[in-house]
Amino acid sequence: MEDLKNSYVPTWCIGCGNYGIWNAWKKAFMSLNLDPEQTALVTGIGCSSKIAQYLNTYRIETLHGRSLPVATGVKLANHQLTVIAEGGDGDGMGLGIGHFIHTARRNLDITYLIHNNQIYGLTKGQSSPTSDLGIVTKFTPPPRGNVEQPINIVQTALQAGASFVARSTAADPKLAEIIAQAIKHKGFSVIDILQPCVSFNHVNTYKWYQERVYAVSELSDYDPTDYTKATAVAAQWGDKIPTGVIYAAERMTYESSLPQLAVQTLSIQSIEAIIVTPLMDELA
Amino acid sequence: MWRKPFTVMFGGQAGYGIMSAGALVAKAGARNGLWAFVVNEYPSLIKGGLNTCIVSFDANPVKAYEERLDFLCALSQEALDQNYNKLDRGAAVLYDSDAVKPDRDKVPQAVTLYPVKLIGSLSGETAKVMANSAMLGAFCALSGFPIEKIADIMKTGFIKAKVLQQNLTLLYQTFDQTRSLFAEEKTFPLSFQADGNRKMLLNGNDAIAMGAIKAGVKFAAGYPMTPGSSVLTYLADHAVEYGLVFKQAEDEIAAVNMLIGAGFAGVRALGSTSGGGFALMTEALGFAAQAEVPLVIVNAQRGGPSTGLPTRTAQADLNFVVHASQGEFPRIVMAPGDVEECFFETFQLFNLVEKFQVPGIILTDKYLADSSIVHPYFEDGDLRVDRGALVDESWLNDNQPYLRYRAAEDGVSPRAIPGQMKGRHIATSYTHGEDGFYSSGNREYAAQEPEITAAGLDKLFAKVPGILQEIQGVKLHGPQAAELTIIGWGSSKGAILEAITAVNQTGRTVNFLQVLYLSPFPAEAVQAVLQGSKRTLLIEGNKTGQLGAMIRTYTGLSMEEVYLKYDSRPFTPALIIEKIKEVLL
Ligand SMILES: Cc1ncc(C[n+]2csc(CCOP(=O)(O)OP(=O)(O)O)c2C)c(N)n1
Ligand code: SF4
Repeated sequence: MEDLKNSYVPTWCIGCGNYGIWNAWKKAFMSLNLDPEQTALVTGIGCSSKIAQYLNTYRIETLHGRSLPVATGVKLANHQLTVIAEGGDGDGMGLGIGHFIHTARRNLDITYLIHNNQIYGLTKGQSSPTSDLGIVTKFTPPPRGNVEQPINIVQTALQAGASFVARSTAADPKLAEIIAQAIKHKGFSVIDILQPCVSFNHVNTYKWYQERVYAVSELSDYDPTDYTKATAVAAQWGDKIPTGVIYAAERMTYESSLPQLAVQTLSIQSIEAIIVTPLMDELA
Repeated sequence: MWRKPFTVMFGGQAGYGIMSAGALVAKAGARNGLWAFVVNEYPSLIKGGLNTCIVSFDANPVKAYEERLDFLCALSQEALDQNYNKLDRGAAVLYDSDAVKPDRDKVPQAVTLYPVKLIGSLSGETAKVMANSAMLGAFCALSGFPIEKIADIMKTGFIKAKVLQQNLTLLYQTFDQTRSLFAEEKTFPLSFQADGNRKMLLNGNDAIAMGAIKAGVKFAAGYPMTPGSSVLTYLADHAVEYGLVFKQAEDEIAAVNMLIGAGFAGVRALGSTSGGGFALMTEALGFAAQAEVPLVIVNAQRGGPSTGLPTRTAQADLNFVVHASQGEFPRIVMAPGDVEECFFETFQLFNLVEKFQVPGIILTDKYLADSSIVHPYFEDGDLRVDRGALVDESWLNDNQPYLRYRAAEDGVSPRAIPGQMKGRHIATSYTHGEDGFYSSGNREYAAQEPEITAAGLDKLFAKVPGILQEIQGVKLHGPQAAELTIIGWGSSKGAILEAITAVNQTGRTVNFLQVLYLSPFPAEAVQAVLQGSKRTLLIEGNKTGQLGAMIRTYTGLSMEEVYLKYDSRPFTPALIIEKIKEVLL
């Protein structure tokens, strides 16, 4: 576990849910016995994306909203790597929503962790695409607060074609296990991680989540491979919020459909002395 | 004085195989000792509208296109109506007698009209697919271009034997029919002799893609935008064969970020787009620079501003690409002037972006991207891949702790890639220190922020002298000393070269300073030439003289004469000769 840390202390606020996710991340990693040299963590921009600073794998902290295309490039360049993308709800569901839908459609073997605090933390408290209706933020003042329908990440991921979809919370003792399952899953796996922001979101607190979440595994004969059931459960949000692995199915990954990659990983190919005479012949 | 090449225009509605007819005759010429230059002009329409293909033939390499026609083949009324004024003395006009009615008053003197039934003799879809074979048969009959050379090329071009047979039959039928109508003219002035030199017919985008493959590009991503797309199509077509991956992205923002991911993971990556797509890539361009991830992006310019003219040319994105993205950082901008430079400089640029860990941009335009030229095989035997400071695991083992952004005199730090032992690091878009950490993520860094910020920028800019040393920033063409020095960049090169060759044959002396690398700007090299120049003439395909302004900024020198063309069409030798005469008068 020490190997995954570096000497810097996180600058997250005391009590922030990011700490819980950070710890679960390391636990999941250890439990799978993954090699940090063979892992690339790709984050966006936001408090949550700073996690890249505090883990000692290969990491690239990208631009706001762009973690998934960067992760796609990393994965295709070296599909032997374990690639994990990570960031906030604003990052992923705001600027990044288009990339999110398309990456899910593609089903590359990438794990995507979304720290969903339903607010913009790093820019100090604006509304997010996942903010609940009526919530008052810097950019959605009273009396009406937020009037836009929030994005349900689990539902959106399912519809877009993600082959593994889960939800958890930053304080969930099961989070590490779910992350490990997501990493093991071959294909695009999404975890919506409900994460309290103690500084700017005074509505969706640890307590608020605790009072509402329930594990889908408690439902009688819940089958996460059943897409229809999963979509019904995924639609729930409010008094009852489902958590755990909501959907998991096997689908061909994007990279396994590429014959070029079956021959050799791109990043280890020799590029000395490539012969292009046949290309010239084609044009003669 | 300068004699222009024998120039044929094929014109007709989109879908009638106008461009493939042009490519076919050019290839037939190329295999038999001739040189050619092929320019396609087409509106941004899928159906209808006038498509033209101009093929200029010569016994020597042709460097530019010219619009004075010796032969016009018109399959549609527009093809004739819009081109009366381009017909040279003695020109022949072959037209489809069913579809085209010439206006005798507009036909210039000493031009002969040849009405022949072309599409009319065919029915429905066949007309579309085979109209160009009929046209070529008649063209051969009237011009004396050897029909069997065209038949030879056709034989290698069709996959289905039956379709080939139909086309060949039509080719010869129309040939015979035209012969029976008109006396043999044999106006085609060149002789056909295979000379043993291997030649190809390719455009700028083909050459860039081929140069990139030679350089070992393994990943490409993009979103279609004319005229940048065909680089990507080429790579997609050859992906499996060359073990590379092309990914069509959801937009240009995704595309460039995929390139950054691939570059970070140690793979040579290429994107291609046009101005609008490049605009979307700009935030990530700065990210690549800040994280020191190498990548190459092609911006094939088209007319603008905004969506502008999808299928027409311009040189108006120069200011934009050299300044694109927030903040300040070095990037390499290379503007090839011909297919030779498209191939070799693209190869070179891949070496440079890895050696200096900076983003690289290839700035072309529709005219260069899309015009084909008969060109000898590239002599690529001496090209060597240089991956710069990309380290291996044994180096990493010996150099612990590893600092990805270690301070270095030349600004270049050893680069490790994911998967390597002991190379773990963070790359980030934030201003960072030697180990990749930054102030808002670490309290220790916050205290030293001013020093780290300045040192970070100094490190990026420390690369500039090294880059300037490695690039051939300018090329001086023509005599060392001249009465007039032309300055230009990019695709106008060919027309300028043809023009100065012609003028110099008359006893006047003109040379041409081509600026091949526009960023970092080769100020000293430009200054050295311009200070010795007697008179200067700036030639650019834009409204505001963007290179002129850069020269002023970097050298304090102003161009005396300026010839700017921003009407969406390329420069031609004749236009430049006229301008030179005016200046030298
Ligand atoms: C293009 C761009 N727009 C805006 C920003 C400013 N910005 C930084 S972080 C952020 C929002 C972060 O919110 P979220 O993704 O929910 O992460 P959190 O901080 O809550 O973890 C924004 C808007 C930026 N960096 N780049
Ligand atoms: S602002 Fe919110 S999300 Fe950001 S560190 Fe503080 S508590 Fe965490």
